[in-house]
Amino acid sequence: MERIKVRQLCFYFVAMMPVAKLLVYPATLTYQSKNDLLLSAFVNCLAEGAIVALVMLLAKKSGKSLFALLENTFGNITAKIVYGVFALFFFASALLPFMEHKNFVLQVMYENVPSIISFAPFFFVCFFACVKGFKSIGRMADISLPIFIVAFAVLILLAFPHADFAALLPLQGASAGEVLRGSLFSANWYTEAAFLLFFLGHFEYEKRASVKVIASYAIGSAAVLLFLAVFYGVFSDIAIRQQNAVAQISKYTTSFTSLGRVDYLFIFAIALVMIFRLCVPAQMCVHCLCKSFGCKPMLPAAAVNILLLALTVFFNYSFLELQTLFTQRLWFLFALFAYALPAAALLLKRRGAHE
Amino acid sequence: MKKLGNTCKENVAALKGILTSEDILVFAFETQDGAACAAIYADGITDKALLGEQVARPLSREKTPKTAQEAAKILQAPETKTETDPLKIADEVLAGNTALLIDGVAEAVIIGMKKLSMRAIMEPPGAIAVKGPREGFIEDLKTNMSLVRNRLRTPKLQFKTLTAGKQSKTAIAVGYLDGIADEEIVKKIVDKIECIEIDGIPDSSYVAKFLAERPNSLFKPTGTTEKPDVLAAKMLEGRVAILVDGSPIALTLPYLLVEDFQGAQDYFVSPYRASISRLLRFFGVFVSVFLPAMYVAAQLFKLQILPLSFLLTISGSVQGIPLSPSLELFFLLLVLEILIEASVRMPKYVALALSVIGALVLGDTAVKAGLVSSSAIIIMALSGISAYTVPDLVGTTSILRLAFVVVAGSIGTFGVLLMTALVLYYLVTADAYGVPLLAPFSPLIRRDLKDSLLKTSMYGLDKRPKVLQSKNKTRLRNKGGKVNHGKN
Repeated sequence: MERIKVRQLCFYFVAMMPVAKLLVYPATLTYQSKNDLLLSAFVNCLAEGAIVALVMLLAKKSGKSLFALLENTFGNITAKIVYGVFALFFFASALLPFMEHKNFVLQVMYENVPSIISFAPFFFVCFFACVKGFKSIGRMADISLPIFIVAFAVLILLAFPHADFAALLPLQGASAGEVLRGSLFSANWYTEAAFLLFFLGHFEYEKRASVKVIASYAIGSAAVLLFLAVFYGVFSDIAIRQQNAVAQISKYTTSFTSLGRVDYLFIFAIALVMIFRLCVPAQMCVHCLCKSFGCKPMLPAAAVNILLLALTVFFNYSFLELQTLFTQRLWFLFALFAYALPAAALLLKRRGAHE
Repeated sequence: MKKLGNTCKENVAALKGILTSEDILVFAFETQDGAACAAIYADGITDKALLGEQVARPLSREKTPKTAQEAAKILQAPETKTETDPLKIADEVLAGNTALLIDGVAEAVIIGMKKLSMRAIMEPPGAIAVKGPREGFIEDLKTNMSLVRNRLRTPKLQFKTLTAGKQSKTAIAVGYLDGIADEEIVKKIVDKIECIEIDGIPDSSYVAKFLAERPNSLFKPTGTTEKPDVLAAKMLEGRVAILVDGSPIALTLPYLLVEDFQGAQDYFVSPYRASISRLLRFFGVFVSVFLPAMYVAAQLFKLQILPLSFLLTISGSVQGIPLSPSLELFFLLLVLEILIEASVRMPKYVALALSVIGALVLGDTAVKAGLVSSSAIIIMALSGISAYTVPDLVGTTSILRLAFVVVAGSIGTFGVLLMTALVLYYLVTADAYGVPLLAPFSPLIRRDLKDSLLKTSMYGLDKRPKVLQSKNKTRLRNKGGKVNHGKN
């Protein structure tokens, strides 16, 4: 149930990682960094890429799960507490993407169904995914890769003719402070290294695994940067108002032809991969709870999803406030859990007392 | 139960005490020196001519044998064994064999003389091939085993014969190629069959239910085939075959979903043609499941997806229809299912009349009456026909199709996506006998992709499928197909 392959990790970084950054992130980044959004995103990618490399180094040196490493260093109780804290972090990091997706569903897919009614069944799918464990993440990465590549390529190709890349100039149009603020305030979209940390011990480190994973991360990041460039090229000054970037980016090409919005078919394909990606933090949360309490995933999965549904209902009309809270006030928490703690994991004892 | 005694009369009485039915007959005769003999058999399933020729005639010309083994030597029957337990002897008689009892011998000789009226070996109606072998399995286990043996003339072909069903005592043969099939899987299958405790097994589909690792799954638990050539090919890949007496459908394990998209004919035509056929089948299933749902979702929620001219045509056709698109299509699909059910069961002489009713009255007239739109009829027909590109999945696709329409009608496109995600989550985590159902796509097995939705040439298929974990991995050694002239 809990095994994953290096190949699947690579596919995860290529296909599932970028989709989380295709909705609100581009507009938010434009708000902070203006035409220098690529620089901000690049800083994030570089930082997260470095943490991914460090975690892979840890995987190469120990081959143990994070729980085993924590247990070796601090003992069983502390390991359980750390997992409990991370469960809270994953719970929090799942909430904003859920809200993003709910708004995407409301604004892009429907005009006449209340968003809560249409979005609530998502939690059943998420519950099912949570019960299935890491194996489902890996196997969904296998499925996601061809879907993502085809859909992403078509959307970018459709948008390309209308992209004016001169809009990205002049470089350093925004101040260094704005670029850095853009990077820091988007920390909640960069939690992949924390996920990788929990995959430790659940995959067999094979020859050149680090190179493969880091290269895959680079490909995924390049896809995000390309998307941001095309996005800003298409919308430039009005990019800030394009909340569901992936649904907007190719609309001009299709509107000018008599084909209808055929790009919706590819947007739906991306949305399908998004569903798989959205489940990941919830699956991580359930994994941590199972380890902390030593229980089977059924009960924590139900509890986590019911709570997430309740919070989604609670914040139904407060997405902007929630986004501001998470991005502009609690960014340091995301940076701590997604960057600092995975890097600090290198300091954990890699050998147990009895070894 | 008390074992057989030395007196023929008492033994016959003991067996008649167990086999009380009137169709269990006793053929009494004597040896040359006057010892009483009795052949007990079931009327209608035993070859009486053979009984006379191979049993009664030789024994009546010889002196009384002292043991059952000696008697077996006198008989001219190739298939004999001895038995002392009356209950087991009764089972053999009920299976169509003859029990020979001789005065002074405390054992019965069981002689294989089963003769059933069977249909001839013919092409299975559900798996018609334009190219390739046309023979199909019949209802007789031994004939089916011989059809497989005829195609795999190797001592490595093994059959383990088991019996299941308290009342039916159905014979089940588990066949595999020693050294190619995974022995653990063979053991697991044998163990599961031995654990079956049911009154009767009328068909192999009963056994399939017991072999399923997920009994409540919407998807098939085992592979099925009616053709010996297909079964032999699957066994050569490392699968295990299960043949059930009384059933013309053989089961294969482990089962992969992609098997249903592979036709027997694909291996007899060019790889390009085979690949196109497989992609068409996949597209057919995709259209069958998703087209009605997307039509409903597009009409209810996402009209922009349709080109303007197409949209105008559809909006013209749906004008004045009293039902909502989802209800309209749901009922049409329901009518389609009813028509299919009726056409399978109706007598052939009324089929034509009912086809006219189905096509004209329910289709054309319903559109003219304004009850349903012509576009919905087209969608229903396309979906219905497409499902039959993969006949083995029709049951599953028809259920999924209805479920998707309901979801599309209530939640729209996102509902369709959620349902797709749920089905995919289920499929990717559904492993049976240690083999993932969705392999070689998830988990991705590059080597096995060569014979999945696309097919390479025979030289490309030099290895057995990796997912089946066969010990003997190579199936084609001379990859280039070069003639080895050999140097002396």
